[in-house]
Order: sequence, then C-alpha cells, then structure tokens
Amino acid sequence: MQPAAVQNMIFSNIETIPGMTITQSLGVVSGSTVRAKNVFKDIGAAFKNIAGGEIKAYTELLQESRNEALFRMLQDATARGANAVVNVRFATSSVAGGAAELLAYGTAVIAQ
Amino acid sequence: MAEGDFIGIFIACGCVVGPWLLSLVATMIYQPRKRKVLLERESAAAVTGDALTTLSKPFGNREIREFRVMMANVVMSPSWVQMWIGGIMSIFGGQINVYTKVVDWARREAKQRLREQVSEAGFDEVINLRIETTMMTKTKGGKDRTSGVEILVYGTAIKY
Repeated sequence: MQPAAVQNMIFSNIETIPGMTITQSLGVVSGSTVRAKNVFKDIGAAFKNIAGGEIKAYTELLQESRNEALFRMLQDATARGANAVVNVRFATSSVAGGAAELLAYGTAVIAQ
Repeated sequence: MAEGDFIGIFIACGCVVGPWLLSLVATMIYQPRKRKVLLERESAAAVTGDALTTLSKPFGNREIREFRVMMANVVMSPSWVQMWIGGIMSIFGGQINVYTKVVDWARREAKQRLREQVSEAGFDEVINLRIETTMMTKTKGGKDRTSGVEILVYGTAIKY
C-alpha cells in the first residue's frame, strides 16, 4: 500500500505540469532497484528460447521492478517537500550477468 | 558393423541435431503466427490514426485536461536457431537479419501495447514518447542459456 503523500504526487515526462505553474525546482530525484532473474522462471525461459518470442515472466518482473523504482523516486521527492516531478526518465542497464538495474529519475518541483 | 552400432550412431546424431531441428520448426511455426496477430492489432488501431507522438506538446497547443505517465514493456528473445545463425552472420558483419527481425518485432509489440493501454484508459494521445532498449545478458559460465532484449516504451498520455 502506498502512503497518501506519494499517491498524490503528480509526475509527467514532459517539461511542464499541464494546467499548473512551476514555482520552484528542488533538484534531481532518483530511485533505483536491482533485480535478478528467478532460477525457476529461468528454466521456463530456457524452454521458451526454443521457439523464441516473448518471455512473459521477465516482462512482468521488469514491470514490477520499474514501478518499485518509480515509487522510490516519488518517495525521494516527497522527502524533499516537492509536490510534483517533471521530466521523468527511465533507464535500464544489465549489471553482472542475469541482474538488471532499473532507474527512474526526474526533477522535483513545487507546482501551483 | 553390428546393427546396434548403427542405432547408437543414429541416436547420437539425433541428440546433436534434434534440438536444433526442433527449434527451427518451432520458430517457423510460432513466430510468423504471433507476428500476424500483431499486424491485425496494429491495423485495427491504425484506423483512427496513430495516437503516439514524440512531440513535447500536443499538436496545435491544445489544452490538456488530464494526463498520466504510461508505459509498456516487452522482453523478446531470439530462438536457438536465430542465435546460432546470428552468431555465424556476425563473423561476416553487415546487417544481421534474424536479430533485426526480433528487435523490430519487440518494438512494434511494445508500442502496440501502449496504444491499447492508452485507449482502454480513455486517453486521446501520448506525447513525448521515449523508447528504451536493453540487452539482457547471459550469465557467465554458460549455465543460464537465455538472452533477450527488453523494450520499454513510455510517454505522457493526455486527454483533451
């Protein structure tokens, strides 16, 4: 369950918050998480590789992890007293075989 | 040579060639079918015009009533046969068609998912679309044989 403060955060990946004016910038906020693949899911994925195509287990895993990273970014913004985050970007990189790092970052602002 | 020897050689050959053959057949049946389904979904969505744009403002500066960041992702993997062909082709360099196909397919799939998500949630358009590509590497040591490419498509969905 997400705390109310984080749930009420506004974020967009454009430079502005439509319908609001940005009065103050509070710097860059970011949230990240590193997830490794699950051994049991890997076995299924290895079989999936026979025919190729989508690996649903990984799609879901990365989706969940990315939401987690986004949540951490919003928490960071809340801690700074911001009420919105603009220009949110996502980045992914694979660190050490089998693990992926998911990063969400943006600029925390006060918008009115 | 005894009859048993032939059977032994036959089984040994089967063990080596069998998985590749299985992979080849599975690839040729499974992937075109999935691509066909995707094409149908795409043409159904294209009737009303593409909702995705990379512009940072809605066209003609229309007023935005509501917005939300939306994303769609997909992890695609080439099949064993495709990886094997790709490995051989990379010796010669140039375009590696089998990989191009898989990555292109993944990107189309991800974009189509975003389109469907957006129209389901009742939004009109997506602005400032970004596409991210990540290679998911194999674990060193050869125990983990999977590899794939992750495509993330995200943008701000808006309502007029």
